Amino acid sequence: MAQTFSEKIFSLKARRDVKAGEVVIVSPDYLLSHDNAAAIIQEFNKLGIKQVKNPQKIVIILDHVVPASTEKYAQNHQLIRKFVASQKLQNFFDINCGICHQVFSEKGFALPGKLILGSDSHTTSYGAFGAFAAGIGRSEVASLWAMDEIWLKVPETIKIELAGKLPPGVYTKDVILKIIGEQGADKANYKAVEFSGEAAKNFSLASRLTMTNMAAELGAKNGYFIPNEETIHFLEERKKEDYQIISSDDEAEFEEIIQVDVSSIEPQVACPHTVDKVKPVSEVVGTKFHQALIGTCTNGRLEDLRIAAKVLKGKKVHPAVRVLVIPASQETYRVSMKEGIMEIFSAAGCVVLNPGCGPCLGAHQGILAPAEVALSTANRNFRGRMGSRDSEIYLASPATVAASSLHGEITDPRTFL
Amino acid sequence: MAEKKTAHRGRIWIISDSQGNLIENIDTDQIFHNAFLHITELSQMGQYALGNLEGWKDFSKKARSGDILVAGRNFGAGSSRQQAVDCFISLKIGLILVPSFGAIYFRNALNSGFPVLKSSVLEELVREKKLETGDEIEVDFLQGEGLSLSKDFSFRVEPMSSVQSDIFKAGNLFNYGKTMLKD
Repeated sequence: MAQTFSEKIFSLKARRDVKAGEVVIVSPDYLLSHDNAAAIIQEFNKLGIKQVKNPQKIVIILDHVVPASTEKYAQNHQLIRKFVASQKLQNFFDINCGICHQVFSEKGFALPGKLILGSDSHTTSYGAFGAFAAGIGRSEVASLWAMDEIWLKVPETIKIELAGKLPPGVYTKDVILKIIGEQGADKANYKAVEFSGEAAKNFSLASRLTMTNMAAELGAKNGYFIPNEETIHFLEERKKEDYQIISSDDEAEFEEIIQVDVSSIEPQVACPHTVDKVKPVSEVVGTKFHQALIGTCTNGRLEDLRIAAKVLKGKKVHPAVRVLVIPASQETYRVSMKEGIMEIFSAAGCVVLNPGCGPCLGAHQGILAPAEVALSTANRNFRGRMGSRDSEIYLASPATVAASSLHGEITDPRTFL
Repeated sequence: MAEKKTAHRGRIWIISDSQGNLIENIDTDQIFHNAFLHITELSQMGQYALGNLEGWKDFSKKARSGDILVAGRNFGAGSSRQQAVDCFISLKIGLILVPSFGAIYFRNALNSGFPVLKSSVLEELVREKKLETGDEIEVDFLQGEGLSLSKDFSFRVEPMSSVQSDIFKAGNLFNYGKTMLKD
């Protein structure tokens, strides 16, 4: 029987042949949580169980509010550190490491053919490595810490076939924004999305991560790419354990196949206040903004910083905008420093912040005042997400955000090529 | 443990915009704002429910125990924060009834044993004013039937799936898991 990637991985995990739509009881390979581990610990303690069942599967990475900005956040971090020590958890990454999805990837937990669950909606990112990775809630994580098993529904799969070649100045951020704009923010609710086609084969790992990260904004359970050579090479020195590449059969049953020709896409911008309100950059050129953010789990990787630095090199950002740059991880930070990228940002007048989520979720490090507008490389622009509910957020690629930062208004990055 | 009731009767709130249309894509930032994510006490969460949704910031003051919330498609899109479910549990909301949910939100609610149901006829019923704020309705979770006691008609609701009703009856995911492990 021909199977999709999702059907295969769940058949393997459930030790029986399963089809989309079935409910299975499975045990994940890894379980991610971040600062919300504090809430999970409280849930776990209520269960009346002393020890977590499988400590080596638990990965906790502090990133949401690092370092702690208030006493309450500090207490949450403190609670987590105590729990990590008392449960003897080996896979703990404190405030000095970076954004959970980047650190999880760099440390070799994101592996092909693995089932990864995390208490963060952008856990879908690891599909870029050929894993089945889904976001779940904190009581689910508490329950998994205790029992190591959970129910999941095998999702139907929507295949997105990407043809053509990206034009200069256009990136996978633009491709995924275009897809979300056309298909709607709930297109793939509770479904799997598989990116394939000739164009996808050539996408770099970082570019793939941008797309699987934002598969969550289509409502998807997971987003998937079949691992390519770059991915396998990246994992060589990092992988935590052996893995097996799993991919859909050619004759597998897909719920829908969507064709996208990337050659004709221009830079895209998601407008306030939903991710599916997408327009080509040409329609929003000239929109003024106050704060730019280059970073986040969507676009804070080395590849993204290199693109932004290339645009900003030797120039100054517009005096009316505050430009925040956040490398996704310490590794990204160090390599960027070696390459001179941080020097470029600093000289251009950007504020370089420590690796972490920064102001993306409106907790600290650049909160927006009423009537302020942000242009960000992040994945969400929901009303009030970065601060005042009377502020606005536009989303775009690092190239678009960097180019716009020079003018103080939304700018087509292709004018800088 | 006492058997949980698999039907609910209550007063409805039609979460609509100024034109009277059901508000779609109410994301978890609008249900429970980031600024309060550090709150981990259930009793403290209710006051922030829908606190970031235009026109509905005072919902927590108006809502009564047992009320039913009716909203547009893709309810609970976005972040996985459980406070977006817990704030309604905190207010003792009896049921959330919408055309569709964000996937993680639906799981969060289901796994908390909080009743969330889908119905594809809501938009039409609201448009035709067959369902209005303040109406009394009764919904059978297992049969998938809604009944308006105010206007005396019935409508189709997607019944709970077997895993949903099992977890609902067990109380929550963890209790459900314990019964499974015993089997």
